[in-house]
Amino acid sequence: MAHSSVATPQEYNYEIIRKFSIMALVWGLLGMSAGLYAALQLAYPFLNFDIPEITFGRLRPVHTTLVIFGFGGSALFATSYYVLQRTCQTRLYSDTLASITFWGWQSVIFLGAISYMLGYTQSKEYAEFEWPLDIAITVVWVCYFWLYTQTLRRRSQPHIYVANWFYLAFILATAILHIFNNIAIPVGLFSMKSYSAYSGVQDAMVQWWYGHNAVGFFLTAAFLGMMYYFVPKQAGRPVYSYRLSIVHFWSLSFLYMWVGAHHLHWTALPDWTSTLAATFSIMLLLPSWGGMINGIMTLSGAWHKLRTDPIMLFLIAALSFYGMSTFEGPLMSLKSVNALSHYTDWTIGHVHSGALGWVALISFGSFYHMIPRLYDTRLYSTRLVYVHFFLATIGILLYITAMWVSGIGQGLMLRAFDDFGNLAYTFMETVTFMHVPYVVRAIGGAFFLSGVIIMAYNIFMTIRQAKAEQAATEAKIAAKMARA
Amino acid sequence: MPDWFMWFTRMENSKVVALVLFFVTFCGILIYVYTGKQRGKRLESYKYIPLQDDDDEQDRETGSDKAGKK
Amino acid sequence: MIKHEQIETNAGLLIALTMIVISIGGLVEIVPLFFIEDTIEKVEGVRPYTPLELRGRDIYQREGCYLCHSQMIRPFRDEMLRYGHYSLAAESQYDHPFQWGSKRTGPDLGRVGGKYSNEWHVAHLLGPRDVVPGSIMPNYPWLLENDLPYSDIQDRLRALRTAGVPYSANQEEYEANVERFGEEVAGQLDILNAEENLVGQALNGNYDGNRGRITEMDAIVAYLQVLGTMVDFGQYDQGYFVEFR
Repeated sequence: MAHSSVATPQEYNYEIIRKFSIMALVWGLLGMSAGLYAALQLAYPFLNFDIPEITFGRLRPVHTTLVIFGFGGSALFATSYYVLQRTCQTRLYSDTLASITFWGWQSVIFLGAISYMLGYTQSKEYAEFEWPLDIAITVVWVCYFWLYTQTLRRRSQPHIYVANWFYLAFILATAILHIFNNIAIPVGLFSMKSYSAYSGVQDAMVQWWYGHNAVGFFLTAAFLGMMYYFVPKQAGRPVYSYRLSIVHFWSLSFLYMWVGAHHLHWTALPDWTSTLAATFSIMLLLPSWGGMINGIMTLSGAWHKLRTDPIMLFLIAALSFYGMSTFEGPLMSLKSVNALSHYTDWTIGHVHSGALGWVALISFGSFYHMIPRLYDTRLYSTRLVYVHFFLATIGILLYITAMWVSGIGQGLMLRAFDDFGNLAYTFMETVTFMHVPYVVRAIGGAFFLSGVIIMAYNIFMTIRQAKAEQAATEAKIAAKMARA
Repeated sequence: MPDWFMWFTRMENSKVVALVLFFVTFCGILIYVYTGKQRGKRLESYKYIPLQDDDDEQDRETGSDKAGKK
Repeated sequence: MIKHEQIETNAGLLIALTMIVISIGGLVEIVPLFFIEDTIEKVEGVRPYTPLELRGRDIYQREGCYLCHSQMIRPFRDEMLRYGHYSLAAESQYDHPFQWGSKRTGPDLGRVGGKYSNEWHVAHLLGPRDVVPGSIMPNYPWLLENDLPYSDIQDRLRALRTAGVPYSANQEEYEANVERFGEEVAGQLDILNAEENLVGQALNGNYDGNRGRITEMDAIVAYLQVLGTMVDFGQYDQGYFVEFR
C-alpha cells in the first residue's frame, strides 16, 4: 500500500475540507442575514434602532466581509484542498499548515466582523480589516500558498490540471492585492487605528485595482477553478475543450488586472487611466464568455441531465449568470453608460448577479456534489435541492430586477431637467422613489436566504445520516468480531 | 522615473502599446494551443484527470430520491 | 524557448509566469500616477485637516459614511447644479485614505461645507427625518453623548506625517509650513500644539451648540463644514482645470 502511486480517499485529508465546508455555510447564513437586515434598514430606517453597532454604515462591511471572505473564502479553501488532492492524487503536504489556515482564517473573519461593529475600519471597501488583522491574513495566506505549492510538487500526475492553475492564480493575485492595498501607518503599536500610506487619487486607484481584482481573482478565477473540476465531475464527462481552458486562463489572468479603474470614470483620476481600463473591460468579455461556453458545452450531448439532476441545474445556472454579469460588466464600464450607472443601485444589482448568481450557485452545486463524498454517504434529500434551487433563482431575479429599476431610475431622475433648464427632481425625491425597489430587493434576499437555510438543513441531515451509517457499520463489525 | 517610462503614460502611446502587447501574447498562445495534431491530442488528454480518481460514481448518483425516501 | 509543456508540469514556472502576467496591468496603470505631476492640479488653498477636523474625519470613517455618501463630484451639468464645481484631485491630496465613495444612497458631500448651519447639521445627525422628511439615514444620537477622545491626537498626526502629510514636528518644518500655508494654518498643523489647537477650535467654533463639552459632534460637524471649501474657484479661469484631466 505504501508504494501505491495513487492515493485512495482514505489517504486524503478530508477532515480539513469538512471543517471549511461547514464554516462556509455558517458564514453564509450569518453574512446573508446581515445583508438582508441591511437591505431592510434601507427600506425601513427605524430598524437601525439607534444602536451604533448595527447601523447601516457598520453593518454593511460585516455583510460584505462575511459573504466574500467568510462564505466565499471558506468555500474556496474547502474546494481547493479537495480539487488539489484529487487531481494530484496525493495527500495535503502538511496537516498542521492546513489547520493553521483553518483556525487563522476563521478567527480573522470573526474578529473582523466584531471590529467593524465596534467602529474599527480602514474604510476601504472590501479591505476594511484594520492593520493587525491584515497582518494575520498575510500570515495565513503565506501558509496557504506554501501548502498549496508543496502539495503540487508531490503530485503523482505529471500534468497540473487546469483547475489548479486558476486556484494558484487566485492565491498569487490575492497576495499581491492584499499587501499593496493595505500598506498603512498605524497610529501606535497598541492602537487599532491606521492611516493608508496612499492618499487621494493614488489611494483611489490602488483601492479599485484591489477592489475589482478581488472580484476578478477571488470571486471569479478561483470559482472558475471550482467550475473546471466540479462541472465535469457532476456531468461525468470531461470538460468541453482543454485547449480552450488554457487560452481562457492566460487571457483572463492578463486582462483582469487592467480593468479596476473603470470604477473611477469621470472622477479626478487622469482620463487615460480610466479609458485604458474601459478598453480592457470590453476585451475581457471574450475570455469570460469563452470560459462560460467551455463550462456549459461540457454538457453537450448530455442535456437530459438537467432534467434529472438538480446539482447540474445549480452549476449550469451559475454559468449562465456568470455569462450575464460578464456581459453587463463591460457594458457598465463604457464611460457613457457609467455616467448613469455609477453611484447608483445598478452597480449593487450587478455585483449581486455575480455574487449570488455565479459565486453562490457554483459553490452550492459544488458542495452538494462534494459533501456527501467527504462523508462517504448520499445526500439526505434531492427534493430539497430542487426547492433550494428555485428559491435561489427567484431570489436572484427579484433582487437584480429591483436594483435595475432603482438604479436606472435614480440615474435618470438625477440627470433630468425641466423645460426651464432646472433640475427636475431633488435628491430626496429619488430616495422616495427607491423605497419600493428596496422592499422588493429585501424580499428577493429573503428568498435567497431561505434557500440557504434549507441547504444547511439538508447538509446537516446528510452528515447525521453519515454518522449513523458509520456507527451501524462499526456495530456490525464489532458483532462479527465478538462472534469470532 | 526614466523618460522612456513616461512615454508609455501618454494616452496615444499607451493605447497602442497595450493593444500590441495583448495581441501578440494572445496570438502566441492561440498558435501554440491550436497547432500541431500531437500537441492537441496531448492537451486534450488532460481533461480526463478529474475523472481518473477512484470514486464509485454509480453508487452515488443523486438522480433518484432514494436517500430522501427513507 | 520555454515550451508550454514545461509550464504545465513545473509549478514554479507556472507561478512565475502567472505573476508576470497579472502584474503588468497594475504596474502600467498605477505606477505613473505617483510620478506624473499633472495627476494633481496646481491649485491654492488646499491644506491638511486641523486636529479637530481630522478627528471628525476619523468618526466619518468609523460610522461608514463613505458607504452611502460620495465625495467626488463629476463634471456633468446636473452634478454641477446640485453640488457645485467638479472635484479636483488636489482637494483630496491629504486624504489618507480617500473618501470618494462608490455609491450615492445619500447625496454627494464633496462640497457640503458651508451649505448648512452648524445647528442644521447637529439636528440632522441626531434625527435626519426631523429636517429631511423621508430620509433613510440612521440617527446618530451618540455623537452628541460621547466626549471626543483626543489623548492620542499627536500620535495620529505623527502617523499622517509619516505618510507624507505636512504636519510639522520641528521648527524647520513649521517655518516651511508658514511659507506654504501662512502663519494661521501653519500653527494648526504643528504637532506639538495639537491638543491646544483641537480644544481651541472646538470651543471657539462651538459646533455642537454646547460650549461646556467637546463631543464627537464637534469634530464631525467641523469636518463636514470644511469639505470642499478650501479652493476658491473664483480665482481660476473657466477651463484652467481641464488641462489636468
